[in-house]
Amino acid sequence: MEILIYGTINSVALALYALGFALVYGICRLPNFAHGALYVLSGFIAWTMINTFGSNLLVAVVATLLVTGIIGAVIYRLFLIRVRGMEISEIIASYAIALAILEGLRWGGFKGMTYTLPVFIEGSVTIGGISVDYQRILVVVVGAALVAFLWLFTHYTRVGLALRGMAQDERAALMLGIDSDMMAVVAMGMGSMLAAFAAILLLPLGNIVVESGYNVLILAIAVCIVGGIGSWMGAVLAAFLIGFAQILTVVYLGSHYQMMVALLAIILTLILKPSGLFGQQKELEERV
Amino acid sequence: MKTTHGKLMMILVMAVLMGLSGGSALAEKPIVVGCPLSTAFLYGWDAERGVTLAIEEINAQGGVDIAGKKRPFKIEVIDTRDLEPGVPVSEALLAVEKLILDKKADFLIGGPVRSEAALAAMPLLSKYKKVSILTTGALTPKYHAMVAENYDKFKYCFRIHGEAKNLVGEIFANFGDLKAKYGFNNLFIIAQDVSHARGAAEIIKKVATDKGWNVTGLEIYPTGATDFSMGLLKAQKTNTEIINIWMDMPESAILLKQWYDMQIPALPFGSTLAAAEQPGFWDATDGKGEYTLCNVVNAGNAPSNATPWTMKFYDAYTKRWGVEPEGLGTSSSYMAVYALKEAIERAGSLKPDKVVTELEKTDIMGVYGRLRFDPKSHQVIPSTDPKEGAVGSILQWQKGKRVVVYPKSIAMGEIELPPWMGK
Repeated sequence: MEILIYGTINSVALALYALGFALVYGICRLPNFAHGALYVLSGFIAWTMINTFGSNLLVAVVATLLVTGIIGAVIYRLFLIRVRGMEISEIIASYAIALAILEGLRWGGFKGMTYTLPVFIEGSVTIGGISVDYQRILVVVVGAALVAFLWLFTHYTRVGLALRGMAQDERAALMLGIDSDMMAVVAMGMGSMLAAFAAILLLPLGNIVVESGYNVLILAIAVCIVGGIGSWMGAVLAAFLIGFAQILTVVYLGSHYQMMVALLAIILTLILKPSGLFGQQKELEERV
Repeated sequence: MKTTHGKLMMILVMAVLMGLSGGSALAEKPIVVGCPLSTAFLYGWDAERGVTLAIEEINAQGGVDIAGKKRPFKIEVIDTRDLEPGVPVSEALLAVEKLILDKKADFLIGGPVRSEAALAAMPLLSKYKKVSILTTGALTPKYHAMVAENYDKFKYCFRIHGEAKNLVGEIFANFGDLKAKYGFNNLFIIAQDVSHARGAAEIIKKVATDKGWNVTGLEIYPTGATDFSMGLLKAQKTNTEIINIWMDMPESAILLKQWYDMQIPALPFGSTLAAAEQPGFWDATDGKGEYTLCNVVNAGNAPSNATPWTMKFYDAYTKRWGVEPEGLGTSSSYMAVYALKEAIERAGSLKPDKVVTELEKTDIMGVYGRLRFDPKSHQVIPSTDPKEGAVGSILQWQKGKRVVVYPKSIAMGEIELPPWMGK
């Protein structure tokens, strides 16, 4: 029972880490290595809103989502647009931005283990003899709702359809009058908002530390590679695969192998099916 | 013309006044104290603050008297980043070498902070004959064992804070009390996957088994792990009464919050538990860290009356930095500067071999008791009595305060159990 409960929680957490990264890459083929940094930054934005400006949790959440979304869009419009299409340059540029954000936060005094966000609901409940706190249950519920929302958004709204058009074939989308640069700005803004969303849900479980930005990035990349880079549904599936594999590893092998699971998953995927579970990018080369 | 003349006179008067008030010491070439520290982490910044405070106090009193000449201390800090996950040991070694070659450090105080890095830096210190006093982080017993095994090579290395074996002794003294008082017998160990924590956890397991404890599990979590539910559930299923924790990573706060949220009926007893050491821990966990115990290694890192100097230091630190001493490395880094000052003054020289000889003769009633180095291993001599040696400090979070509960000689309260343990 505990494997089922905490495996699900762990998997949803991984999916939340990865969704923003997968969305941005899926739409504009941009590997956003600043994703983890945006996750941490949004945590500190929310913390500042609550502790410095005294705003209530709901206002802080909305403001954090908006501000992080705008920061993401600005990052694309000012920096990443200049290297668009050059993947190595995109990686270097976005990673440099990540370093600037994380080291800037540290330089600004955001260090230590005492920064944290409040949980949305206090308390815990026993399910099948296993105690689970409400915040973790909320993570699962909201995570599932978010995936459903993304599906509906990309299938039934004009912007969502435009984003899917971009993801499928950018040139064709251009011919249909879709502004690809604007859509990329929207994608980057949405991806950043998803990073903020994950931060607001997951950071109350622990504390906000600059170093976690690197960890979140690694986990997001692992999930996306296994799921197939660019496929956000693949990312969700991969999150469950890795999430449960991690929990099973802790139970049957030992907790110190836990971090190896994600890295091993990357290696195995690259050897056996480089395009990932749902990736279509390299399928032709793989067949050849 | 009159104005210019007046200004000139004022400058002359100020110069004379400066000369009379110790300005002569400041005019002398400073003694450079290099601090290789992981400054983004508690064990780094608190050490830097401790060293800075001591240096400011010493310089305000005129500086260090070397054969009749007063010279000030000057601090140079380089971030070793050795507490950050994934940063190789070589980064810390580069920091140490840069302090020696580039910053021209006369002595080193502080780190490297991570045991692996501190051990790797030892040959470097002997190569450059740099006297180093380790004051924070590194707890591995191998450090002073290496000095004892190869004294001629590693005699420049000292450590003024407690080490893992001593910490283990302190922990078992408490476990023994809990066993006698509540009949506890089941112990679960959770450690971080780093050298000192792994080593200490294995020692705890062995000693506990030898002492008749039932060790219900040993879980080693990688640095950066964010979910501890499975380990905690294992502890719960095995009727564990004490969870012994060895972690200095920030994510240990997640472990403690999970422990509270899951209402695990076992006492979280941290040996190294950085997250719980800081005064801000209570607010950061919304009080969920209540009942957590942790070892801040030396007195003075939490409020107590170990010696007359303890609260004097505590208050001076709080006034200077606007925060109480936060954890391991604070009082020891502060005292290392005073120990070095006295050794230099006795040696009347900055020559490393002479300073080593004089450091071995150190005998100060400091912030955390009587400070003396073992002449063979250069490890500070521990004790549970501040009159005899360096005393440790184990604290428990009780109603928002850090209450020292061990050693008895300096305790400010007794260990309390969470109500859901039903004891």
